[in-house]
Amino acid sequence: MLGWGGAGTALAGCDMPTTVTLEEGKEEVVSYLMPEEYVIPGIGVWYASTCTQCEAGCGLHGRVREGRVLKLEGSPDSPINHGNTCMMGQAGLQHHYNPDRVTTPMMRKNGTLQAVSWEDAMSALEKRIGSASGVDGKRVGMVTGTVSGHQSVLVSELMDQLGSRNHYVHELVNTSVWRAVCRDMLGDETPKLNFNKANLVMSFGADFMGAWGSPVNNMGEYAKFRKGSERGTLVQIEPKMTMTGANADLWLPANPGSEGALALGIANFIIERGWNSVDVPSRVRNTLKQYNLAAVEKVTGIDEEKIMRMASLLSERAPSLVLAGASVENQENGYDSVAAIMLLNLIMGNVGQTLEPTAKFAEESMRAKQGNTKDLLLLAKALNGKKLDVLFTYNTNPVFTAPDVLQIKSGLANVGFKVAFSMFPDETTLMADLVLPINSAMEDWGTHVAAYQPDGAVMGFQQPLMEPLNKETRGFGDVMLSLLKMRSKDYAKFEDYYSYLQTSLLNMPSSIVASNGSKEETWNGILQSGIIKTKGVTKPLTPKLVDMRYKPSAGNSEYPMHLVPTAKMGMWDGRHANIPWIQEAPDQIAKVVWGSWAELHPKKAAELGVKNGDYIRVTSASGSVEAQVYVHKGIHPDAVAVPVGQGHEDFGRYAKGRGVNPLKILNPLMEKRTGELATYATRVKVTNIHKTAALVKMGSSESQVGRRFVRTVTASAYQRTERES
Amino acid sequence: MSLKNILENFSYYRRDAEHVNDPNDMNKYGHHEYEHRYAMAIDLDICTGCNACSTACYAENNLAVVGKERFEANQAMHWLRVERYWDEIEGDYPEQGAKFIPMLCQQCGAATCEPVCPVAATYHTPDGLNAQVYNRCIGSRYCSNNCPFRVRYFNFWSYYEDSWPEPLNMQLNPDLSVRDKGVMEKCTFCIQRIRNAKDKAQREERPMKDGDFTTACAQACPTDAIVFGDTMDPNSRVSKLWAQHQIRRGPVTAEKHKTDEEIRGYRVFDELNVDPSIMYLERVRDTEV
Repeated sequence: MLGWGGAGTALAGCDMPTTVTLEEGKEEVVSYLMPEEYVIPGIGVWYASTCTQCEAGCGLHGRVREGRVLKLEGSPDSPINHGNTCMMGQAGLQHHYNPDRVTTPMMRKNGTLQAVSWEDAMSALEKRIGSASGVDGKRVGMVTGTVSGHQSVLVSELMDQLGSRNHYVHELVNTSVWRAVCRDMLGDETPKLNFNKANLVMSFGADFMGAWGSPVNNMGEYAKFRKGSERGTLVQIEPKMTMTGANADLWLPANPGSEGALALGIANFIIERGWNSVDVPSRVRNTLKQYNLAAVEKVTGIDEEKIMRMASLLSERAPSLVLAGASVENQENGYDSVAAIMLLNLIMGNVGQTLEPTAKFAEESMRAKQGNTKDLLLLAKALNGKKLDVLFTYNTNPVFTAPDVLQIKSGLANVGFKVAFSMFPDETTLMADLVLPINSAMEDWGTHVAAYQPDGAVMGFQQPLMEPLNKETRGFGDVMLSLLKMRSKDYAKFEDYYSYLQTSLLNMPSSIVASNGSKEETWNGILQSGIIKTKGVTKPLTPKLVDMRYKPSAGNSEYPMHLVPTAKMGMWDGRHANIPWIQEAPDQIAKVVWGSWAELHPKKAAELGVKNGDYIRVTSASGSVEAQVYVHKGIHPDAVAVPVGQGHEDFGRYAKGRGVNPLKILNPLMEKRTGELATYATRVKVTNIHKTAALVKMGSSESQVGRRFVRTVTASAYQRTERES
Repeated sequence: MSLKNILENFSYYRRDAEHVNDPNDMNKYGHHEYEHRYAMAIDLDICTGCNACSTACYAENNLAVVGKERFEANQAMHWLRVERYWDEIEGDYPEQGAKFIPMLCQQCGAATCEPVCPVAATYHTPDGLNAQVYNRCIGSRYCSNNCPFRVRYFNFWSYYEDSWPEPLNMQLNPDLSVRDKGVMEKCTFCIQRIRNAKDKAQREERPMKDGDFTTACAQACPTDAIVFGDTMDPNSRVSKLWAQHQIRRGPVTAEKHKTDEEIRGYRVFDELNVDPSIMYLERVRDTEV
């Protein structure tokens, strides 16, 4: 019973006692003569754990019956998700039960991956990185997704033992530029977004409900914002309508890359009118002067009247919350644009009201190491500069997410020994020389400290919800401990990751893990709640006006269109493309299933002579993709949006060979101040290739054709009927 | 419900939607004698269109994934689908966003699917549900033909053969069956959860209470836009919402009762007199921005 010792503290679930339904009555007829420990036939028991489908760290309860996990629900005790889940959390089950899991260690022999035993795999590792291997630690690297808690500690310790500093943390969906601006202008990388205290949320491209920050928490807070004593107003400015934009009261597409100018124009108008509640130093004021209404209209394509209206909304509906997300962050001028947007928060006095400090987990080594795309660029450089002899990969798929021009794939050939910790045969895993099959999140132990902690600093505890499905998979932590044991004697005392976690948590200061009586009781308390609540460390925000250095991005006559590679709730960065539930869930906006598409504005579609289902070719300086068109008005006429996540060359039966990957044709452009990959900066041209097919999507009608399924009232009527009565 | 029975009790069965026993009790009208009347209130102002409900439904109710070709043939089995509509606008951009509505079986009080079933496989339960007896269904598809909401799904194929390749089948919820070819299926308001909650209340020798259980969609919803409960319990959250938004059970269209026509409650296709059990709250948009 590997890893199950002590886990048997069941939560009182809603179907805990025996029942008399026909199906559940089966226990009377076919009883297990010798049921396994904790298995009571016919009875579902709920165990607490933590979701790992994205980096938000939501708490989960998993329903386990007859030793199988059947359903996941949000943990009501979690201050992150308050009992709710998103579609990705729900679909975690299909990662766990996926028919395309890697089930045995594999080693490359004569160019192909062949099944080997763990003994052989570990001895191959020992030869490469063991203390007798003579490995040059500086030439060992590890690339992971966002990692936190004890897994992060183990990764750091292994890197330290080897003397390597090459831990690359890569996530395509990230908030790196926003965080950098928050750090510089607020003194806190992850300020609390107080939606419910705001009367107005003005979001420049932040799809906070879909793929930005902590979506489930954001959506819960958004509901409070809408249902407050005064209904909050949402204004969204972005080149392609995201799910968040679809919920806006006012949705506007500024010319892509010009959002910073729009923010500065709004700020300038506010200051001219004296509506700002915080004084602005004259050096900043002087920079702003050039952003008069006419100039800003010219750059952004947003008319003067709308700019004035947005300025007066910020003034009338204070306090507001102004956000900036992917389509702004990931331009070449991303940082300066986000800084211009953040300026609005500062001058409107939102700091301390709708933006507040968050608590950070007291144990610094366990805080989230957040993934970004800067490390992807650094990895590409190291690979192509032949700087690495050994590379570990875990929980990230850079071969899929990196643009072709970065040459990650060919660069990997320069690494003598590539080791993939992996659940699936994805593109990166299949490049490896050694594949180590790891347990799913529902089979493994772990701790997770989310980067965004809206309420206190909590650590999510992950425990197995069932026995591993495959005998040959191992826990990530267990394998990391084995590797550490090859380098140091300090780890010999830990039999497995479970004992390591238990020892570590029970020896933590009481300010982090509060005692619950005996050690056993404390441990059982952790298992039962799945959440370790701490106060954390909080520092007040220190708002600071930085110089505005925004410059508009340059035009491009050869490639007149902007490519919008949208990551979205569901497919995320492509990691969920092998989940049938996700593939069959219609995209929130286009409602397309099981494939890729390209969104175009009707004006542009008419210009090209294409309609829904026709294929276009999207060409950048770095390559091209072909996809079917979906035409709608929620996109800038000079933009073409191709969703991220499809176009896998491998990754199992549900993902392989389906759709196209727009990331492949991105140009290697950088956000100038943070060094992030400017994923939204690639310019493209679009051509009609005169090929057509039915676009497979949900719903044949785009409008309600006069019927009133979805009815709408005005905010003033709502205020009268529900808020004032 | 034999023909003889129908003829003998014709006037009683005629007392359907038009016959209100007690105008003060919205649950008692027609010929049904209810123990519970499960219902929902779905707030379209905070529904974000995120698909959490729909995915939770797949997980809870053993819904088959049909794949691209069958999806194209309108054979998807999504008991709960989130529809998206665009406004028909003159301008260049949809400045007020899109319109989302989670569409699922409305568990009508006077359901158009029920009377057309030639074998009484679709019937009305004392809980107010339009239930489907899979073992009785012969696949005539009259019910789905008659459903104005298009929320009945027919098994054109034996999906169990390819929708759950091992070990995906291990996730199947043993509390309900996997349906085979030739059978109609639909949202049940998570009847297996209703059964479990009833049994639990019975064992604990107490009446059922609001919050004993909820449906998978309502439980997952990140904004709590879906509220599920029993409208026969006047203190349930859903009853209170129905009362607040002035939607009554029964056949007559909701607007008639409203003191202010801009109160947000409405039922889709209320004008068809089908008495849906789902009240939607109108989406709100600030037109003054």
